[in-house]
Amino acid sequence: MYPSARPSRGPRRLEQRLKHEIMNPNFIRTVSQNTNRGWLGLLSIFLGLFAWHLVARYSGIPPFILPSPLSVWGRFMRAFNDGSLLHHTRITLVEILLGLLAGVIFATIMGYILAKSRSLERILSPYLVASQAIPVIAIAPLLVLWLGDGILSKIVICALIVFFPVLVNTIVGVRAVPSALYDLMNSLHASRSQILWKVEVPASLPVFLGGLRIGATLSVIGAVVGELVGAEEGLGFLLQLGDFQYDTAMVFVAVFMLIALALMLYGFVILLEKRFVKWQEKN
Amino acid sequence: MFRKLVLIMLGMALALSACANSDPGNEAGGLTHIRLPMGYIPNIQFAPFYVAIEKGYFRDAGIEIEFDYKFETDGVVLVGAGELPFAVVSGEQVLLARAQGLPVVYVAAWYQQYPVSVVAKSELGVVIPQDLKGRKIGLPGLFGANYVGLRALLHEAGLEESDVTLDAIGFNQVELMAAGQQDIVVGYAANEPIQLRAQGVAVTEIRVADYVQLASNGVLASEKVIAEDPELVRAFVGAFLKGLEDTIANPDESLALCKAYIPNFADLDADVQKQVLETSIEQWKAERLGYSDPQAWENMQNVVLDMALIPEKMDLNKAFTNEFIP
Repeated sequence: MYPSARPSRGPRRLEQRLKHEIMNPNFIRTVSQNTNRGWLGLLSIFLGLFAWHLVARYSGIPPFILPSPLSVWGRFMRAFNDGSLLHHTRITLVEILLGLLAGVIFATIMGYILAKSRSLERILSPYLVASQAIPVIAIAPLLVLWLGDGILSKIVICALIVFFPVLVNTIVGVRAVPSALYDLMNSLHASRSQILWKVEVPASLPVFLGGLRIGATLSVIGAVVGELVGAEEGLGFLLQLGDFQYDTAMVFVAVFMLIALALMLYGFVILLEKRFVKWQEKN
Repeated sequence: MFRKLVLIMLGMALALSACANSDPGNEAGGLTHIRLPMGYIPNIQFAPFYVAIEKGYFRDAGIEIEFDYKFETDGVVLVGAGELPFAVVSGEQVLLARAQGLPVVYVAAWYQQYPVSVVAKSELGVVIPQDLKGRKIGLPGLFGANYVGLRALLHEAGLEESDVTLDAIGFNQVELMAAGQQDIVVGYAANEPIQLRAQGVAVTEIRVADYVQLASNGVLASEKVIAEDPELVRAFVGAFLKGLEDTIANPDESLALCKAYIPNFADLDADVQKQVLETSIEQWKAERLGYSDPQAWENMQNVVLDMALIPEKMDLNKAFTNEFIP
C-alpha cells in the first residue's frame, strides 16, 4: 500500500516539516529548569531539618517515636559503613528498574493499541480501571502466592503500579497527534513505521514522559510493598527490621533512601525530557 | 454549593474524630476503659481474654476491655510511650523494646512454652533440629517470634543460620506448603501444623519448647501504669489469669464463649478450632499461672544477644516481674 522507500526528498526535509507542524502550543509543556532559585529549596530543607530537631529535642516525644535528625544521620552512617545500607538499596533498585521496565514496555504497547482502537478500549477499560482500583497492598500477598516469593513477584507488583499512569498517558499522547500530520504523512506516502517514528512517537513523547514521571516515582512504592510481604533483603525489609527492633532511626534511614531513589528516578525522567523533547521547550 | 458541601464534610469529619477520641484508660461509667493491643487477628488462641470478659472477671475488676488487633510492635510502642497501659506480646519483644529504651515491663506470663514449631513434610524425615542442616526453611520474615524461635532451635542443635537457607514468605506458610512450594516452614504450634494436617498434608513437627525454655507471650505493662496505678495492673492481671484458669479447666465451654469474638466463627472448621485451643492450652498450663521463669528470660536474652538483636546484656529484673500475679 505504502512505498517501502523513503520519499525522494530525503528524511531531513521531512523531519523539518514535521517538527514545524508538531510545535503545537496545546501540547503539555515540560517544566523548565530554573536554577536561579535553587537555594530556596536548600533553605527549605535546612529549615525543615531544624524544625524537626527542635521538635525532637524539646517536645518530650521519646526517641523511639521521633528520633532526632542527628541520630538518624548517625544510624545512616553506621549502616553505610557496614555496607548493609548499600546492599539493601541495590536490591530494591534492581527490583524497581526491572519492574519499571516491564511496566513501561507493557503499558506503552497496550496504550498504543488502545489509542488506535476505541472498541478495544471499551472492552478492556473495566479491567484496566479495576486493576488500578485494587490496592496493591491487598493483592501483593496473592502475587507472592502465585509467583513465588522471589524477585519475580516484586517486579510484577512494581510493574502493576507503573502500568496505569503510563498506559493512560500513552493513549492520550497518541490520540493528541493532530490529524493534519497524518494527512501530511499520507500525502508523502510515508510507511506505517515512518508515521510511528516520525510523527506519533515525537508528538506523544511529552505526554508519555509525563506519565513516566508518575510511574517512576510510584515504582518505588511497588518494590517496597513486595518486600514488605516477604523478603530477606531490600529497603522494605530494612524498614521492617527497624520496626521489629524498635530502631526507629533505622526506619527513617530506610524511608529517606526510598525518597532518594524516587527523586533519582524522577530526575532521570526530567533528563529524558530535556534530551528528547528539547524542541518543545524552544518553542 | 461546593463550599457548602466542603463545610458539611469538614463538620462531619470533626464530629467523627471527636467521637473516636475516646481516651484509653479513662473512666467510663465506673469502669476503666482499656484498649488492648493483641498483636494478631481475632483468634481462638485469645480465649482466656474472651472468657474473662464473658464471665465478668474484667468487669468485676473495674475494667472494660476494647480489643485492638494491630501489629505487635505498634502495641509495644504505644505502651512504651505511655499511651496505652497494657499489650499482649511475645517475650523477645520485651527485651528488644527495652534495649531501645522503651519503658515496658512484662507483668504476667501467659504461654509457659514458646509457641513456635518447625513443620516439615513427613517424607523428609525431619524430626530433630539437626535434620534441618542444609534445608530451605520458609518463615514469615527475618523478624518476629518465628525467626527468634527458629534461631533458638538452630542454636540448640549446634547449627548456624548459614547452615540452612531461610526464605521469607510472609504469613503464607500453610498455603505455600499445601501448594507444594515449601517443604519446611516455621509457624505457631497451635496453628500451622493443625491447619496443614486438616488439609491432608502429612507433617512432622519440631517444637522449640521441647529443646529450650524461652520467655513467651504474656502481658506487657508500661512503667508509667506500674508506678501510677499498680492496683490497676494487679486487677488486670488477676482478671486475665482467672480467664486463663477457666479456659484451661473447661475448653468446651470456652469455645462456646469465644464465638461472639471471632468473625465468621460458624464458617470455621469446628474440629480445627478445638484442636487449636487444646494445643494452646497445653502450652499455657503451669503450676502457678502467670509466673515468669527467670531462667526462660535468661535463655531468651542469650538468644537475642546471639542474634545481635540487642547490643549487650540488660538487667532482666527490670524487664519482667512476678509482683502482680496472685
